[in-house]
Amino acid sequence: MDVALSKNGARLLRVFFTLVVVFLYAPIAILLIFSFNKSAVPTFPLSGFTLHWYREFLGNSEIKAALETSAIIAAVSSAGAVVLGVLASMALTRRFFRGKAAVSALLLSPLVIPYVVFGISLLLLFHTLGVPRSLLTVVIGHIVISLPYTILVLVPRLDQIDVSLDEAAFDLGASRLRTFRSITLPLILPAVVSAFLIAFTTSFDEYAVASFVVGTRVTFPIYLYSALRFPSQLPQVIAVAVVVLILSLAVVVAAEVGRRIAERRFASLEID
Amino acid sequence: MAIADAGSSRGHIPRRRRLRVDLTTPTLLGLPLAWLAVFFLVPIGIVAAYSFDVYSLDPGPHSFTLTAWRDFLHSSVYLRLFWKSVRMSLTVSAIVVVLAYPLAYYLALSGTKRKYILLLLLIAPFLTSYLLRVLAWKVILGNQGVVNTFLFWTGLRSPDHPLSQLLYSRFAVMLVLGYIWLPFVALPIFVSLESLDRRLLEAASDLGASRLQAFRRVTLPLSLPGVVAAFLFVFIPTLGEFVTPSLVGGANGYMYGNQIVDLFGTGFPDWETGSVLAIFLLGVVAVLTVVFARFLQPRQVAAD
Repeated sequence: MDVALSKNGARLLRVFFTLVVVFLYAPIAILLIFSFNKSAVPTFPLSGFTLHWYREFLGNSEIKAALETSAIIAAVSSAGAVVLGVLASMALTRRFFRGKAAVSALLLSPLVIPYVVFGISLLLLFHTLGVPRSLLTVVIGHIVISLPYTILVLVPRLDQIDVSLDEAAFDLGASRLRTFRSITLPLILPAVVSAFLIAFTTSFDEYAVASFVVGTRVTFPIYLYSALRFPSQLPQVIAVAVVVLILSLAVVVAAEVGRRIAERRFASLEID
Repeated sequence: MAIADAGSSRGHIPRRRRLRVDLTTPTLLGLPLAWLAVFFLVPIGIVAAYSFDVYSLDPGPHSFTLTAWRDFLHSSVYLRLFWKSVRMSLTVSAIVVVLAYPLAYYLALSGTKRKYILLLLLIAPFLTSYLLRVLAWKVILGNQGVVNTFLFWTGLRSPDHPLSQLLYSRFAVMLVLGYIWLPFVALPIFVSLESLDRRLLEAASDLGASRLQAFRRVTLPLSLPGVVAAFLFVFIPTLGEFVTPSLVGGANGYMYGNQIVDLFGTGFPDWETGSVLAIFLLGVVAVLTVVFARFLQPRQVAAD
């Protein structure tokens, strides 16, 4: 007898699970369907298959500019967040110092700050300093909010790695930087990559904070938001939405699968 | 590995100290902490300064005053809006946790072989664009949206009388927020159920407990930290939410976060009051976080 679930219970839960998954994916599927629908408004009945909206989007320079802006911001801010995240995670896992609990709480606190409050705080900071809003101001904000995510990915990985590997390299005469470069970094590389991807997708999708500090060059979420309020270009937006959605889903799944494979390989190495 | 063995067998305490002497702790922590100080803590301090009128948007003389705070605490408008947002977030969080619990239970305890694949399937929507998921619901719920036109098409409802409360309502805000957070909430509950020692359930069963009793007296209490964490992971961000209500909420779904944004908006900006509202929200969230800190172990989330 299974102690956690009866047969019928398991069946019931399976049905429930399936229903929830359907509920979660149905809206996404509906977007997908309407991106191929001829009519300019997403209404039933469907009016025939077309690739028109995808072609339109490829010709829409505004959308492309917004995507490019977001890609630049996401690339720069996630690189920044990963660098800061690696430094902080090394300190949290490899060093002893007073007030570690407080430091780690501070490093993770951007996770719980309401984004509306953080957005306004940055706005007031830049206003007070007289810094004009630009791509850079968005990058600054995005580094702050992605930093804790990178730490959450990196710290468990660093914890898994035997410190004595570092120490051995150090004993053999490698400098600390060299030790980091040739021992630690290769070992945590899968986690670094997935930290980068998580930070990238966080930034690429971020609207709330960006809406306060964005300059004249709009990011993709900002563009999407205004398109949502004035839905004249709805089908095109849906088409882009679908492309972005599928790409981000693919990136996330690839990152997760890649990390697992890499870690499994490492785990088997350790056992040898 | 040979190297690792050699390293640890020689006893590494003195060596670790040597690594530490060369010490990079300040170098390692300097940059991240400086970044957070300048771009996270100082900005919040500036908001606080605005809330006490130490800084002000208006030129002219101004100095420390509690006026805005007093007005806020005596204003029924802002506080009522705050409680409305609290009620909405509480409802969403409670419903979502109740829905997510059986999902996590199924994944963790049914013995299904594909639990990590199913977990990924469940969480994947959370990792896609937030705005796009809101967009999907706008397309579905509008007067000329998928639900209504489907009803017209099938003749269940006449086009003159669409279900107009679907979009731009408190219901729409709560539905979309629930939809957005549901996948994520299952995660902390899953982690706490996953770490549950099944032998406890076997012992309960051997001692004559029914499955329901075992669930009520063993499983549920032991998974409570995960449940609390899950609840807070939804409650905290939805409390300050302004994007979803501004897209699908209309006047009825207007939340506290929208009020903050509007006070900093282009219409009639009132940064002093806006700062008070922002700091108040931050304070509430900070208290919640500190009180429940032991449930919000980041490691619990990070673990798989």
